[in-house]
Amino acid sequence: MEGLSSSSAIFYDFLDRMRNPASLDLVRSIKSFIVSFSFYAANPESDGKKVQEFYATMEDNIRDHPLWAGATDQEVDCAMEGLEKYVMTKLFSRTFASSPEDAKIDLETSHKIHLLQTFLKPEHLDIPVVLRNEASWLLAEKELQKINAFKAPREKLLCIMNCCKVINNLLLNASMSENHVLAGADDFLPVLIYVMIKANPPQLHSNLRFIQLYRGQTKLVSEAAYYFTNLVSAKTFILELNAKSLSIDEIEFEESMHAARLTNKATEKDATQALEEMTTSQGQTDPGSSAVLHYKERSGSSNYPYMDKEAGDLTVGDVERLLSAYKEVVTKYTSLCTAVRNLSFSRAEPHATNLEDKIVVSTQAEKTETTFLKKGFTMGQVHNELLRRQKICPHPETNRC
Amino acid sequence: MGCSASLPDRSSGLLAGPNSENGGASDAKNLRVKLVLLGDSGVGKSCIVLRFVRGQFDPTSKVTVGASFLSQTIALQDSTTVKFEIWDTAGQERYAALAPLYYRGAAVAVIVYDITSPDSFNKAQYWVKELQKQGSPDIVLALVGNKADLHEKREVPVQDGIEYAEKNGMFFIETSAKTADNINQLFEEIAKRLPRPAPSSTQQNP
Repeated sequence: MEGLSSSSAIFYDFLDRMRNPASLDLVRSIKSFIVSFSFYAANPESDGKKVQEFYATMEDNIRDHPLWAGATDQEVDCAMEGLEKYVMTKLFSRTFASSPEDAKIDLETSHKIHLLQTFLKPEHLDIPVVLRNEASWLLAEKELQKINAFKAPREKLLCIMNCCKVINNLLLNASMSENHVLAGADDFLPVLIYVMIKANPPQLHSNLRFIQLYRGQTKLVSEAAYYFTNLVSAKTFILELNAKSLSIDEIEFEESMHAARLTNKATEKDATQALEEMTTSQGQTDPGSSAVLHYKERSGSSNYPYMDKEAGDLTVGDVERLLSAYKEVVTKYTSLCTAVRNLSFSRAEPHATNLEDKIVVSTQAEKTETTFLKKGFTMGQVHNELLRRQKICPHPETNRC
Repeated sequence: MGCSASLPDRSSGLLAGPNSENGGASDAKNLRVKLVLLGDSGVGKSCIVLRFVRGQFDPTSKVTVGASFLSQTIALQDSTTVKFEIWDTAGQERYAALAPLYYRGAAVAVIVYDITSPDSFNKAQYWVKELQKQGSPDIVLALVGNKADLHEKREVPVQDGIEYAEKNGMFFIETSAKTADNINQLFEEIAKRLPRPAPSSTQQNP
């Protein structure tokens, strides 16, 4: 939708200008600003403040810069957009979802939404029938789900704006064709909440916080600020939602939530069980497998003494131990791979899990790939063929296609 | 209610302002103002705004018409302009706790009730109290009794609105989004009451 294509044009224009030797001083400031972040531990609040201050300083610098002499407000604006995207893409891994608290709220939100998805209906939010338009909702959901496809705060914000635009269009259309009185936010917010629950956008809380902290403050105003606030508001509503927040019987709500939790647990249990089954059967042939799976817990123990070390910590005297540890790991890894392969081929039980299927498909795939390549197929053709086989052949190991 | 079928009304005494969409920094002559609408669902909050925005409609002006966010610039007699950025809020009880997210940083709060519904008048008083406690200290508050055209169904006397507003130092007006009565006056009065930034300094919405 709107905005994202022009955004890359703006960005390339910015990069072009930055390649101009005349902008060397700006490039230096940008680089040293980005490097300065590696000196301190991540802290969302102060990181956000630093970035906003940097935007403000850079805007002044750009306005006074010979390369932008006589530039219009719009041109300076484009440069600022380019700068924001560049800086935040470089700082993304450091600034996005960096605090454990944010990650926790992300999990909590998506878990709550996951439960609600199992039973929540539009009537629970009293959404008028004329606004129950699955096609529009789906479009709005898709826009919201794109949010993790972008790193720049502006582009993440655009996903939100586009989602809201779809909902707005739905309301405006209903008011024109269905003679539904335009009720503004009374209609808008419930639909947004419902769309948010259906979409369960990835890392919702972290995305909103990222936009709030790192989108240029002069840009998060007016209409953008309004729709952004609605997203925050919908997220807050969902996190605090209980039976009283909905038009639903309290007992029915509790029962539905309970049932959803049970189903959730069952799926989780299935997955863990499958994993455990695999490890125990491998354990018989190779005692090292559990060490690999739980290397994190064991990394401090004598088995793998170098897991926490940096290159600078090592001395020449360590070489011998390091080499023998390396050999041990390689041997274990090789036997683990063989074990997994043998296991997948020898097992023909009907309850083969998805996890196993994946392993089988990939080992099968390797073989098929080579065969196809020998026959002169291109890689693209091979992949299509493999994809087709995966789809139609759920249990390739037993040839029960 | 017919608010979505209203026709542009140009008979008002106000001039359609030159809408400058240049990012919107405010100065002494051109104010940019965040206005939040509060009130029970069904009192006609969005109808009032639509009436205002459509009534002011000038083909040369850029008006943002969304379903819940609208902006409109008006020009005052003293040759200043005020751009209203109007934030609608959901009036249903279940969203009441979210209101602070919307009125944070607002320069104006318009609290609307329906003159045919005493419940909505009670709810309006609840919002006034909350804003006095939680809103920014220099916020301009306006109390609006809407649906004034429905005389025969009136249940909240004009006097009650006037007295309550007076007691709380707020501006009061009865409007009809249906007939467009007092709609422009409402926004014109608000514009007059806005604190003006000192000349040459710039004010930005937080």
